[in-house]
Amino acid sequence: MTLVDRDFQGAAGDAGTKDLASVQDTAGAERPLIELRQVSKTFGTVKALQDLEVSIRPGELVTVVGPSGCGKSTLFNILAGLEEPDPGNILRLKGVSSAASDLLGKVSFMPQRDLLLPWRNVIDNAILALEIEGMPRAEARKLAMDMLPEFGLAGFEAQYPNQLSGGMRQRVALMRTFLFKRDLMLLDEPFGALDALTRTMMQRWLLDVWQKHKRTVLFITHDVDEAIFLGDRVLVMTARPGRIKLEQVVELPRPRKANIVTSLEFISLKKTLLEAIEEESMKSFQVAGH
Amino acid sequence: MSGTATLAANLPVVSTGRIGVVLRPVLWLLLALVVVEAVVVVFGIRTYYLPRPSVIASTIMATPGAYLAGLWRTFLETALGFVAGSMFGVVMAVVFHRWQTLRELFFPLFIVSQTIPVIAFGAVVVLWFGNTLFAKAVISFYISFLPVTVNTMLGFSAVDPRQVQLMRSFGASDAQILRRLYLPAALPQLFVALKLASSLALVGAIVGEWFGDTTGLGVLLLQAMYNENVAGIWATIVVSACLGMGLYGAVSYAERRIVFWGGEQ
Repeated sequence: MTLVDRDFQGAAGDAGTKDLASVQDTAGAERPLIELRQVSKTFGTVKALQDLEVSIRPGELVTVVGPSGCGKSTLFNILAGLEEPDPGNILRLKGVSSAASDLLGKVSFMPQRDLLLPWRNVIDNAILALEIEGMPRAEARKLAMDMLPEFGLAGFEAQYPNQLSGGMRQRVALMRTFLFKRDLMLLDEPFGALDALTRTMMQRWLLDVWQKHKRTVLFITHDVDEAIFLGDRVLVMTARPGRIKLEQVVELPRPRKANIVTSLEFISLKKTLLEAIEEESMKSFQVAGH
Repeated sequence: MSGTATLAANLPVVSTGRIGVVLRPVLWLLLALVVVEAVVVVFGIRTYYLPRPSVIASTIMATPGAYLAGLWRTFLETALGFVAGSMFGVVMAVVFHRWQTLRELFFPLFIVSQTIPVIAFGAVVVLWFGNTLFAKAVISFYISFLPVTVNTMLGFSAVDPRQVQLMRSFGASDAQILRRLYLPAALPQLFVALKLASSLALVGAIVGEWFGDTTGLGVLLLQAMYNENVAGIWATIVVSACLGMGLYGAVSYAERRIVFWGGEQ
């Protein structure tokens, strides 16, 4: 509890550099946007998650790292409402107890692959979620057209996914997620498939867009640099069954410049996190070896 | 330079693709006709076995009205059966996709239905519906719906489950997922089946006419056979082939227009 409190003040202090509205926003929201307590998930004989505890406050960007197969994707599927955790869990959305299925349509979810529809052009892919919500196409397209420049897609609205590069496809997918305006955005390794250079560009760009739009984000990655560079907090998950092993507050000032990754602070954070991850990776390795 | 190269690489694919679809088979056909004509003349093959293409052509030109009327009638039967069969095929694929139980109960029956030879079935249909255009369309329908159902189901099963999950996370209903994801995703597979079904529907219509009718390509074929009018038989075969190619070409054209993204998923 103390950790959470301290951490909260840290976030509020951080917000001091942002505009006034967001300070009030953060200060007013004493309860977390979403809260998971004692969440477990079993698939047959495999325990993917055990007594997982996560809480995310409005406006936070929380990153999650962990060894492969630690149940990160299961956590995401629960938060997206696609999977129900084992009974006995506590799941609160804005303080209201909910079942995972209540979250369907309440969270904007971006999976690892862009999953663009090949028969829809950039604009129509971006407005997919809006269309499903029942917004008239013309209106949705207009909304999306205004967002194109910010996503580096101006002039590409009529292109089809097979005409786009990997980075652009990913930006279309992100735009689709942004247009589906929900309190919580879940990003599951969105840049995992991109080359290193494109990835750093996308990270910086994501921070810009996030700061402008003030959205709450949970971001899964296997890249520690990415987790620190983006996050207000980094959660390290244990090997299966997944729990939160370490909750690391990142107090690097925002806006973060690209060269922050070489700062001493960054490197000491990276050291702590890598040690924690290494320990867990070894465990899952040994389990696999048996 | 590289810009023009990509342009050049992009444009002709589209243009030759469209014109080529129509032109290339026609050119091959003409060439084949010339070769056949030459072979028949050089080896002195009797008309009874294989008439010269020019004789076939003049047979058609002697009574073009009869062939046109037959063509039109058979086309109507085929088109009616094909369209109804395709729609039924897609609807059944959706039903089997939505309701697993129905699929387990009835899909085997679908397969069994196709093991009944269309000849045996045709007699019953003509008894039920009489010597009508509708009866022939029913036979075309019967012979063409199964490949459509099977391929559409194949297309459905190839849909990425993560794509479905994404749609669900947007709060999409089953109907929305069907319309915006499953149906378009199945289009490439569906068109493979439609091309097959268009040929099958024509077979159904011609065979259907053998059970009794007064106009149609099947009727012309029977009449020519009973009269040992070999040139007439071949003339009907040629007209049927034109109809078959026309149908296939029309479906292919639609495929190129609709499934512009190819099989890419």
